[in-house]
Amino acid sequence: MSARRWAGDLGLGVKFGFTGGREGWGRLLLTAVGVGLGVALLLLTTAIPTALTVRHQREAARLDYTYSKPPAKSDATLVIADLDTTYRDKEVRGRLVEPEGPKAPLAPGLRSYPAPGEMVVSPALKRLLDSRDGALLRARLPYRVVGTIGESGLVGSQELAYYAGARDLAQHINGWQVARISAFGPPADQPEDKMDPVLILLVLVVFVVLLMPVAVFIAAAVRFGGERRDRRLAALRLVGSDSRMTRRIAAGEALAGSLLGLAFGTVFFLIGRQAAGGVEVMGISVFPDYLDPSPALALLVAVAVPAAAVLATLLARRGGGIEPPGVVRTARPARRRLWWRLLLPVAGLALLVPMIGQGRSHGNFNEYLVIGGVLLLLVGVTALLPWVVEAVVARLGRGAVSWQLAVRRLQLSSGTAARMVNGIAVAVAGAIALQMLFTGVEGDYSKETGVDLNRAQMQVRLSRGVSLDEAAGKFADVRGVRKVVAMGEASVGDTSWRSADGPRLSSQVTVGSCAALREVAKLPGCRDGDVFAVTGLGWDTDTPPLAEPGRRLHLDTSQGLDLSREVTWTVPHGLKRARAADAPNGLERGGFLLTPGAVPAQAAGAIVGQVYLSVDESVPEVHDLVRNTATDVDRFADVMVWTATQQSRQYASIRTGLLVGSVCVLVLIGASLLVSQLEQLRERRRLLSSLVAFGTRRRTLGLSVLWQTALPIALGLLLATAVGLTLGTVLLKMTDTPVGVDWPSVLTMTGIGAGIVIAVTLLSLPPLVRLMRPDGLRTE
Amino acid sequence: MTPPPGSLLAAEDLHKTYGPTKALDGAEFSIHPGEVVAVMGPSGSGKSTLLHCLAGIVVPDSGSITYDGRELATMSDAQRSALRRSEFGFVFQFGQLVPELTCVENVALPLRLNGTSRKEAERAALTWLERLEVDDLAKKRPGEVSGGQGQRVAVARALVTRPRVLFADEPTGALDSLNGERVMELLTDAARSTNAAVVLVTHEARVAAYSDREIVVRDGRSRDMERIV
Repeated sequence: MSARRWAGDLGLGVKFGFTGGREGWGRLLLTAVGVGLGVALLLLTTAIPTALTVRHQREAARLDYTYSKPPAKSDATLVIADLDTTYRDKEVRGRLVEPEGPKAPLAPGLRSYPAPGEMVVSPALKRLLDSRDGALLRARLPYRVVGTIGESGLVGSQELAYYAGARDLAQHINGWQVARISAFGPPADQPEDKMDPVLILLVLVVFVVLLMPVAVFIAAAVRFGGERRDRRLAALRLVGSDSRMTRRIAAGEALAGSLLGLAFGTVFFLIGRQAAGGVEVMGISVFPDYLDPSPALALLVAVAVPAAAVLATLLARRGGGIEPPGVVRTARPARRRLWWRLLLPVAGLALLVPMIGQGRSHGNFNEYLVIGGVLLLLVGVTALLPWVVEAVVARLGRGAVSWQLAVRRLQLSSGTAARMVNGIAVAVAGAIALQMLFTGVEGDYSKETGVDLNRAQMQVRLSRGVSLDEAAGKFADVRGVRKVVAMGEASVGDTSWRSADGPRLSSQVTVGSCAALREVAKLPGCRDGDVFAVTGLGWDTDTPPLAEPGRRLHLDTSQGLDLSREVTWTVPHGLKRARAADAPNGLERGGFLLTPGAVPAQAAGAIVGQVYLSVDESVPEVHDLVRNTATDVDRFADVMVWTATQQSRQYASIRTGLLVGSVCVLVLIGASLLVSQLEQLRERRRLLSSLVAFGTRRRTLGLSVLWQTALPIALGLLLATAVGLTLGTVLLKMTDTPVGVDWPSVLTMTGIGAGIVIAVTLLSLPPLVRLMRPDGLRTE
Repeated sequence: MTPPPGSLLAAEDLHKTYGPTKALDGAEFSIHPGEVVAVMGPSGSGKSTLLHCLAGIVVPDSGSITYDGRELATMSDAQRSALRRSEFGFVFQFGQLVPELTCVENVALPLRLNGTSRKEAERAALTWLERLEVDDLAKKRPGEVSGGQGQRVAVARALVTRPRVLFADEPTGALDSLNGERVMELLTDAARSTNAAVVLVTHEARVAAYSDREIVVRDGRSRDMERIV
């Protein structure tokens, strides 16, 4: 067979594709839109690595900390304070800046630094501050907006960020919140951030799981309207084309759809890319120019999609040739064979099994084996499902007319039914496996914070020297705050903290009213002026030798406002003993507990205030009201809203990515299901009309359509659950994690799959009713 | 015009338009029990629309259709469906057999829709397949039989409920002359044996020859050839 002949036949098919009249164009457009949606999603995926790289580069370019010794003040240094905050669960990146000379490094995205009292903001923050929604945040940022941050200084189009000018920042330099820098960018001594092999495994599986249904969808889309096309091509047999030639012409028609689909996909992608700049999904936004597909991957999509269309059509036609109309009668379809269908998942398992038990420590999972194994297992679903549907429906008994119509239809064309649910089945199988893996390793990436949410739900850390009484009073006045526990924290040592090696023995100091101290220890009795030494803590071995009445101890003043003075404190003779208890933050505090009357006046500058707040979460915006008050009390205050658990950032990002991707894929599959359902109904328009003509109830036909969808879906979901559980078990064994099935997740996933089918069936009912009208009987 | 006395189904001054096209423009019709009436006319003349209106499948824009003294226009869709299930039978040119069901199941379908049990319905269906000389096809699907055989199965299905009126729209349109004539013989014999009236839409004089009377439809108007003669 010459290439020229192939090209000629394919070309003829492409020509037929574009010259099929109104109906032909309708079919072509349907295919093109379907393929286009898939292509757009693939292009988006190929753009994700670039988008992540650009985000990472921009994030790195604006890093403003150093691990080494900070530079000395010069005209090329900048003092910068990290004032990140949260507004309605959205993070706001905030920086106070004070250039110390004309050569101070300029932050990316800025033309110049704002003067004290002024700020430059990101476009999204500007919009928020200008809107009614931003009123509370405006109160927290009392600066005049004088400009906007350029794109190079932001990681996403919807990022909330600002740089505000300040003065006298240098006195607050503490190495973690306020720093002096001579350049932006990653510190030279920054440790390499290597990704956990299990997280890499998760990323790989997420990509395969999300892209497989897209591929299945594209394969289904190129066969939209296939039955009608077959009838048309059958006429070609009459004029002498052989069955192979006809298959190639059919492939050519599919090629036409896929080529138009590529064009549509590019347009959809460009529209989506532009629209992506205006949206934020789960806290992540991008700029349109981040979404540049890497050329090699885009080329791969451009070649693979038409090639897949041709292959899918040729493979689909391999069993039954297209025959001249009326020459050969439709025989019962040949029974499907199981053996090669089983080979795929078995081969997938064979690729994954060698990696079982490698775990995290040896987890250099071979990415090709992982991708290949997961891919084969999931492709196995699409290969096994037609066999399962055929085998099961062949054994189904007789029932009501609607049931009989549905079962017989499935017996005659189980392939079409299986093709319709393949995408959902693959998506659900992958999602179940991933949920198992996520749940299995969740413990490694999330930890209990230990905080007691019954006692407090927010914590405010104040700078050294801020008056605790005053702060506590202000917080108590905030609407929604039920209880305020304020205490100061400091450290004492046996020698000066300024000595070369620091003190040999050191201990914690907690300052607070008797009521506040009772939150951290069991006190025998308490009056202002009392001092307690906490006993009974195994880890606190330094306090007993330090707790000798008359011993002079040195307060840690190495950081803070008044760095020059050495402040000492003498352990009083009336020292009492207290027993340790859990503080609201879940930690035990040891060392010394001092009531305010026992604190030497000069120690104020060495004490860091901690305020624990119990709040009424039902009061609207109570968290932001507290944050505003905290800024009012101390602009460097660090406000935390407590949660019972804390998740690793990377782990949370991957989980978010999976959610975003799953939503896109499920919407796509739902759309595909609806299109093929409507196509099926349109094919049967005349039959439906004639059934109605001789008195068939519409309810009977509606129920029959429902059974026809529900049966393959139920089988598809069962198979998906089996494959998903198998894949999940293998993945968990690979990471050396105990295997456990998270049944609620499994039920949720299958429930979502079933929900899509119900939604599609409901959406297809109005067109079904329209198709059942007698107009379908008209031939002229 | 007043319908002739004793007519089972009669229509007066029927009008029906599809968009700008006038399908029926004052058509009239009547048929007696056991009578075979051929509705003839060129393509697009409105004969199929007339059949659909008479069968209660399509509601005319205006005019009156009475069946056994009942006015079809005043019936609900459900009532007209029930009438079609129990009293009417249909044979079309294309697409009337459900491809998934076997021939015997296809024939049994109208009975099952009326609530007859499967066994009983299939027993009756087999009797009719025998009468139509296609009982050997009972277990085959429509895709596995020839056009002529399929059409006989369709006739069996139309008659299985013993309808009082049989509507046949170009029943031999897709068949060769030999097959067509055999189908017509079987159809008219079977209908006469059950005293069913047959409304036969055709444009072939050869097929119309099986009728007792002919009505010609042209531009949406009907003419009774017997009266003209």
